[in-house]
Amino acid sequence: MSPTPASPRRLPRGVGSLALLAVLGGLFGFLANWPHYEGLILMLAGVGAGGALQRLGPSWVRAFAPVAVVVVFTAVALESPLGLLPELVAGGGGVAVLLWLADDPGRPAGGVARAQNTLGIPALALGIAWASALLLPSSSASLGVAVGLLVFVIVAVAYLFGRPTLFDHEEPSPS
Amino acid sequence: MPAGRETLLRWRPRAYLLLGAAALLLVVAVAERNPVPLFLALPFLLAGPAAALAGPRSTPHLTASRNQAGSAMDVRIGGAIRSAERVDPRDLFVELPRPAGLTETARPLFERTRDEVRFRLSWRAAEPAMVTVPAPRVVWRDATGLVERSTTLDAPGLVVERYPPELLRIGAIKLRRTMVLPGETLSRQIGPSGMFYGIRDAAPNDPPRRINWPASARTGRLLANEFQVDRTGDVLLVLDARGTELGPVVDDRLLSVSRAAAAGIADSFLREKARVGVGVFGEFLDAVPLGTGRAQRDRVRTALLNARLTPPGAPSERCAISLSRYFPPGVTTILFSTLVDDTISDLLPYLRRRGFPVVVLSPSPLPVLSESTILSAQDEAVAARLSRLLRRDRIASAWREAPTIDWEEYWSLGRFVEFLRRPGTRRLG
Repeated sequence: MSPTPASPRRLPRGVGSLALLAVLGGLFGFLANWPHYEGLILMLAGVGAGGALQRLGPSWVRAFAPVAVVVVFTAVALESPLGLLPELVAGGGGVAVLLWLADDPGRPAGGVARAQNTLGIPALALGIAWASALLLPSSSASLGVAVGLLVFVIVAVAYLFGRPTLFDHEEPSPS
Repeated sequence: MPAGRETLLRWRPRAYLLLGAAALLLVVAVAERNPVPLFLALPFLLAGPAAALAGPRSTPHLTASRNQAGSAMDVRIGGAIRSAERVDPRDLFVELPRPAGLTETARPLFERTRDEVRFRLSWRAAEPAMVTVPAPRVVWRDATGLVERSTTLDAPGLVVERYPPELLRIGAIKLRRTMVLPGETLSRQIGPSGMFYGIRDAAPNDPPRRINWPASARTGRLLANEFQVDRTGDVLLVLDARGTELGPVVDDRLLSVSRAAAAGIADSFLREKARVGVGVFGEFLDAVPLGTGRAQRDRVRTALLNARLTPPGAPSERCAISLSRYFPPGVTTILFSTLVDDTISDLLPYLRRRGFPVVVLSPSPLPVLSESTILSAQDEAVAARLSRLLRRDRIASAWREAPTIDWEEYWSLGRFVEFLRRPGTRRLG
């Protein structure tokens, strides 16, 4: 009688997305303009802190887990060098942050699958932007145009944040 | 805020975090003329609107089913929440408010499937209770936790009733006319239910099921059946909801205990087809006139659930006068009163003068008061003895006007039931 095959061991939930975040974040920190790998250390520390807060802390502490990760990404971006690879890694890191948020072990499983639209739209926009940067001739003028477009996007997003009713298909009930 | 605004989409704090970080990265990119921060900012900027667009675009409509189990102190509530729309139950955050008077014995258990969210709650009733379990609060939240939406929920009402087990059989007691407890003797009522009594000419408003069709065919005219119901008597339950010097917290707990006992007594007597009426006296009297049947049970339950504590000061005479407008004198009256001060105790002579034979069931405040200790153990013991002496004096004073049962052990009403069963032979209190 053949022995029963052992079921494959599965990683705890959220570890995969955290590892991806650590790899992309570490690479982003490694590419930063710091001489002694401070970017790498800072990024790993931030991601590690975010992961620890997300898993170990009480509910009110868990709410601060994204803060640690977003702050270190923003800090490292201040010292990031020019180049196509840092651009790609930065964008990929941003999507990885969203992926990590969706793979929260404190919530029901399958968060990444349910968030595919939320992740897909920024990833698609990132792909278009990076392909444009790769294929189109770069100049300071194109950077200015990109900045102008981004300002427009920020204003539009800020407007959407202030008017959540725009996302509704129903009329609010009269008070 | 208008009610309609609450049903709209809301941004969560992490959405503002991402937007703020994106704005900062934009400033950095422009200042340093470096496009790398722009690439990092792009996913942060788009995630919020993408989450809002990917989720439900209107308020999700949900339905909930709930049931309760357990007995005595144990309260177990189970249920499920379903969505008729394309909302994944795994994105629903369910908050289950716990009514006052019930404590949690285990953490709520949730089980999420593709169709519904099932939940199980384990609570404990420290005292007899009759409380409405609030409907669950459900919020849809996207998987990344950036946006959320309120939902509308259809949840049938759920009332938890826990009262001493002796009350289950109290309705079987035949209320007799005695010296100390003049109540109703056995009476008969001709009506639409009970044992067959006879045949009469049908009235135009008689339903078809009351028509005796064979007899009608023989006589050539419509005849209807009549039935006879034996009633054990009429019972009036009066809750004194006036506040006392004990303060609103203690008063509210004692009123809750009284409410539960009243519900148990009413339920038991209504099962035996007796007529039950309820009066809740706060500032004024809220009365449910005598009646029987399921509809009366619902009316009594609603009146008891709506009973609220009122500020002290309402004159006792007003209660007696109001009761005489709704109820005939002579009906067996069970008064729930703490008898804490003279104003409350004054009600007894007024009721007696108006012809209501009263039995007082007085929930004692001593168990509630003994929960909070502010003195040393020795002083607490002395204070407890003094309180007990004062309480005995109050009960003895009340006994001069009406039989009074001091209800100190909230989960036991054996003495009260025994008194109703043998009113002439026992003197308790």
